[in-house]
Order: sequence, then C-alpha cells, then structure tokens
Amino acid sequence: MGTMGLALPWKARITSALREPAAVGRWGTRVKPSEERTGGPAGASVEAASEDAALAAACQSGDLRAYERLYAMHGPRMKNLARNVLGSAADAEDAVQETFLKVQRSVASFRGQASFVTWTYRILINTCYDARRSRLRKKEVTTDDDTEEMPRMEPRAPGAHPSLRMALERALEKLTRHQRDVFLLYEVEGFRHAEIAGMLEITQAASKNTLFQAKKNLREMLEPPRSSSAELH
Amino acid sequence: MNVTCKDRERIFEDGTAAEWMALEAHAAGCVKCAEELRAWKSLSVAAKELQDYSARPELWTRIERALIEEDARKAERKSWLSFLPSLAAGWQTALAGAFVLILTVSVTWIIRESKGHSSKQDNSLLKSAALKEVESPETAYEKAIDKLAAEAKPQLDNPATPLLANYHEKLLVLDSAIADLRAQAGLNPSNAQLRYQLLAMYQEKQRTLEEILEARK
Repeated sequence: MGTMGLALPWKARITSALREPAAVGRWGTRVKPSEERTGGPAGASVEAASEDAALAAACQSGDLRAYERLYAMHGPRMKNLARNVLGSAADAEDAVQETFLKVQRSVASFRGQASFVTWTYRILINTCYDARRSRLRKKEVTTDDDTEEMPRMEPRAPGAHPSLRMALERALEKLTRHQRDVFLLYEVEGFRHAEIAGMLEITQAASKNTLFQAKKNLREMLEPPRSSSAELH
Repeated sequence: MNVTCKDRERIFEDGTAAEWMALEAHAAGCVKCAEELRAWKSLSVAAKELQDYSARPELWTRIERALIEEDARKAERKSWLSFLPSLAAGWQTALAGAFVLILTVSVTWIIRESKGHSSKQDNSLLKSAALKEVESPETAYEKAIDKLAAEAKPQLDNPATPLLANYHEKLLVLDSAIADLRAQAGLNPSNAQLRYQLLAMYQEKQRTLEEILEARK
C-alpha cells in the first residue's frame, strides 16, 4: 500500500484547539440545519429553515435567479465534494451541472420531507456515483483491465501539505462508499450528522458510527510505521 | 467529569463537548491517550487539505444555459399537451392509459388484418404466377407441335402405307385425349396431375409426328 510508507509527521499537524464535532458551525451559508446548533441561536435555524423553504418555492416556480442563488450558496462546495468523489475537476463540473438539471426536472415533486439543500446534495452524491459507475463501465468496454476501480486523482493547486493531501486522497479511495461520503461531508464540507443522515438516508447514529469507522481506517492507513514515528519523538 | 482510557473511543465516536474536554484533561497525564487524541485530530486537520473552493465563473454560465434549454424543452412538451390542462393528474393518467390501450389494440388489429390479407393475396398471386409459368411454355409447345402437324399433314391426309394410316389413327386418338384433358384443365387450372397428363400427351404427339416425318425421308 502506497500510503503506508508515507511517514506523516502527525505531531506537527495537531492543533491545540479542541474540535467539538457537534458544535462546529463553519458554514455561515448553511441554509437549513436539520438539528439545533449547539450553543447557536434558535432563531438562526428558524430563519435558515424559512430561507430554505423560500429557495425551494422559488425553484419550483421556475425562477432562474433562485437556481443562481443556490449555486452562489452551494456551488463551490458542491463542486469540491464532487471533485473529491470523482477525482477530476471537469467531471465534478459535469456532475454539478447534471445535479442542477435533475433538481430542475424533479423540483415539482419536492415535498419538503428533508431540507431543499439536503435534497440537492443527495442528488449530487447519487449523480457522482452514477458518473463513477458509467466511467467504470466505459473503462471495462475499452480495456479488459478491471483491476483499477478508483478514480485517477487529478493534480490540483498546491496546498500547504500536498503529500498529506495525496496520501489522504488515496486512503479515502480504499474506504467503503459510505465511510468516504460521511468523512467528506463531515470533515471536509462541515455538514452536521443530522444533515448527513438526510443526505445519505441513514440515521444520525449510523452517520456518527460510520465517521468513527472511517477515521479509524484512515488512521491505520496513514499512520507512519512505528520505527519512523519513534524517530520523530 | 472523570474519564478514563476506556472512554476514549466512545468519546471519539459520539462524545459531548464536556466529554471531549474531560478527555483532553485526561490526555495531559496519559501518553497513550495524548498520542491517540493527536492522531485523531490530525485527520480533521488533514481533511482541510481537500478543501478547494475556487470557483470558475464559466461554470454558472454553463449551468444557466443548460437550465434555460431544459426549460424550453419542458415548455415545448407542455404546449404539446396543452389540450389537457383542466384535467386532474389522475384523470390525465387514466386518459393516457386508455389512449395507449386503444392504440395498442388498434395497431395489433391492423397488423393482424394486413398479415391475413397479404397472406391471402400472396397465395392467389403465387397460384396465378405458377399457372402462368406452366401455361406459357405449354402454349409455345402446342404451337411447335402444330407446325410439325402441318408439315406431316399431306402424308396423313393421303396415307401411302398402312403404317402411316396407323399413325393417322393414333394422332386422332391423341388429339381427342388432348382436347379432353384441356377441357378438364380449363375447369381446374391448378390441378398439376392434369397438367402432367397433358404434357405426356403432347410429348407422345410430338414423337409420333417426328416418326411420320422421319418415315417420309
């Protein structure tokens, strides 16, 4: 396994700030929280809920500006999520466009069982996996080699720790679909478990447990060999 | 709140803010828990490496165009079905179902009818074509034999030998049989057996005429 040999200086990356998973509200643009924010004002969630409902109603009426607002609020995050699932920026853009078209086609049947944004992300995730499957089918038709099922990760703009990002991308591909989705939605995109539960149609407890399993597996995959770890001390 | 090493994984999975703080306090004096806590939190830090929210303005333009095109297609479909606006969705579905049913039954009926008709036509066509194929060489053959008969006629009208007189008799019998068979074939033109018998008679008449002409030499 390629990532096992990567000695990641874990200690160097640890921040002193304590992360409280249930209390983090990193996204000011979040439209409707499906659970109360810990410590957050109750009025904010009501406001977000009504904004979500208004957005859904505007989209149902065919108002193109509503779709533009949806894109302005979630487009970059949708593209980033798709990019992390599909491994390519071009495929991610296609998936986002397809998601908007699917939303437009079926918005009339949206009854508000979940939040509109949650529903949109559910469509995006399904679209991404449809794209992965169709890419795999195409690959099987063109070549007999079916050994590589993972998407080939395209290089992106260099971040602070490119080797860490690459190792994480490879490790994520080795997780189960649900583990990968929950990790990306929670840790990368900052959604709460209640929102993730709505997107993936699972329970909140399942979302928490899946995240726990995902992180355990990632830790095992990314953990530096004990010997090199000892050298860092 | 007092936590121990045993609580660590449970807190990782579903700990409250107070439990996380208690675990931090515990980790300050526990090397193993401190290491685990650092590694656990590092994953969250590493996850930030996967955040790239640089947006291309062209993407919205592309999506907008696709949405407008889809809208236009939708409107086109709607206008096509505009004669159904006042009906409820249930009635529209029922109407559509009835239409499909009628269409299916009609198409099936038309296909069956046209099949039956064409097979009938085909049979009669085949019969008449086959009959034509038989009758046209038959006529040509008859004409050729008539020519032979015309050549042999002077000898037969005044037979010089008893052999020629016998040939004359034989030809009269053959002509009578041919006339009978032709009459029967006229009544039942597709009877192949009659056609074979007629052919045999003609062949016999041809042989007889050839023998007469041979005898003349």
